[in-house]
Amino acid sequence: MKSRVIVITSGKGGVGKTTTTANLGTALAMTDSKVVMIDTDIGLRNLDVVLGLENRIVFDIVDVVNGNCKLKQALIKDKRFDGLHLLPAAQTKDKTAITPHQMKNLTNELRKDFDFILVDCPAGIEQGFRNAIAGADDAIVVCTPEVSSVRDADRIIGLLEASGLKNARLIINRLRGKMVKRGDMMDIDDIIDILSIDLLGVVPEDESIVVSTNRGEPAVLETASRAGGAYRRIARRLVGEKVPMYSLDDDNNNLMDKFRKMLKLAR
Amino acid sequence: MSTILNKSGELHIDLSTLRSFSEMKHELEQRLESSKQFAPGTQVRVHVGDRHLSSKQVREIEDILLDYGLHLRDLMGNGPPDEEADPEKEGPFYSMPHYDRTILICRHLRSGQKLFSEGNIVVLGDVNPGADVIAGGNILVMGSLRGMAHAGAFGDESAVISAYRLSPTQLRIANHITRPPDGEVIVVESPELARIRAGKVVIEKLKI
Repeated sequence: MKSRVIVITSGKGGVGKTTTTANLGTALAMTDSKVVMIDTDIGLRNLDVVLGLENRIVFDIVDVVNGNCKLKQALIKDKRFDGLHLLPAAQTKDKTAITPHQMKNLTNELRKDFDFILVDCPAGIEQGFRNAIAGADDAIVVCTPEVSSVRDADRIIGLLEASGLKNARLIINRLRGKMVKRGDMMDIDDIIDILSIDLLGVVPEDESIVVSTNRGEPAVLETASRAGGAYRRIARRLVGEKVPMYSLDDDNNNLMDKFRKMLKLAR
Repeated sequence: MSTILNKSGELHIDLSTLRSFSEMKHELEQRLESSKQFAPGTQVRVHVGDRHLSSKQVREIEDILLDYGLHLRDLMGNGPPDEEADPEKEGPFYSMPHYDRTILICRHLRSGQKLFSEGNIVVLGDVNPGADVIAGGNILVMGSLRGMAHAGAFGDESAVISAYRLSPTQLRIANHITRPPDGEVIVVESPELARIRAGKVVIEKLKI
């Protein structure tokens, strides 16, 4: 399979880029793909923490591009999956420590060894963003059902198109089915209507994400996590499987399931 | 001899007595050079008399005026009309001013993107919130207009803005600025047209 460099971006901060990268990376590794995740948020690195790999960092992306170490030395192997690697960001530098050109060379180097190269983009549209998208073939735009997030996603899609990434796909994160049904939250269709790009997946709001993130264990590893399940389905779509899209009725099913479980427990 | 008059902020330049086009250009340049005090963006009407100017010559006059920061509003002459007279003087677009240049954009305009044309603009796509469309002439959006649109940006109050779905953040026509009323969400499932009537921007159903 031809390797793909996928940048995960959003424009706005706090919508779940890093969580999405960690979970998709892990879920892809579960499908036996060889995956490397690159954290390009230099100065504010988080991906290593979410993956629980913080204490293994010796070299980082800035060391690699400056030639202080070999690429293989900086790659951290995941503690759970052999096919999963992380290239961490530097914490003591800033975004100007690398250039888009260096980033492109780096991703091309990684193409030789990996099926999926996931680039975790920092928030904003400045140099960090330009670095992150430099070597990418595809883009995944993460947005939450909020007007501000959709606005920023729209801006980002425009910038991606201007840089030649015209096939960006959308992940809607933290959707609350109940609120949408009450009409208190933007609907999937409303968001697609404005952004007019292909939908890659919908991730429901899920408390288990907070728990798993704090523990450094991606939610996809938990079979019970609804958000984890959504990320697993997205990963299967990325490897080319046809997986039905989430709909609000899934929530009902889940509620019904819970109800049934409660009845069983009561018996 | 040619004269320069200043009527209600508009500039009238009479070149109708001059024989050749090169004389006209020369005279125009001299006139503008000798009186450089006009505010940038001033609209100019040029009287050309019996002469019929080609579109290239019109462009040359426009360029000379632009060098001095002025905009050609109109060419006035006694000569034969250079464009065919509109046989059907009906429909919503009859009263629209004529602009030579129209640009066609076949994509969505997204937040942060800006589109400007001295003539008309036609967008085959959506204009999203945060995007600006600014035209000297009219604006037609064959999708949802959710961003800002400014028609008649050089002061043409007869310019119109129409869209398949008109739900802009702001509409501007000439020097009028409007926005949708706060709190009310009006959903209209049909194409609409905004224009100035009696000094106010009004939105009406587009009837074709």
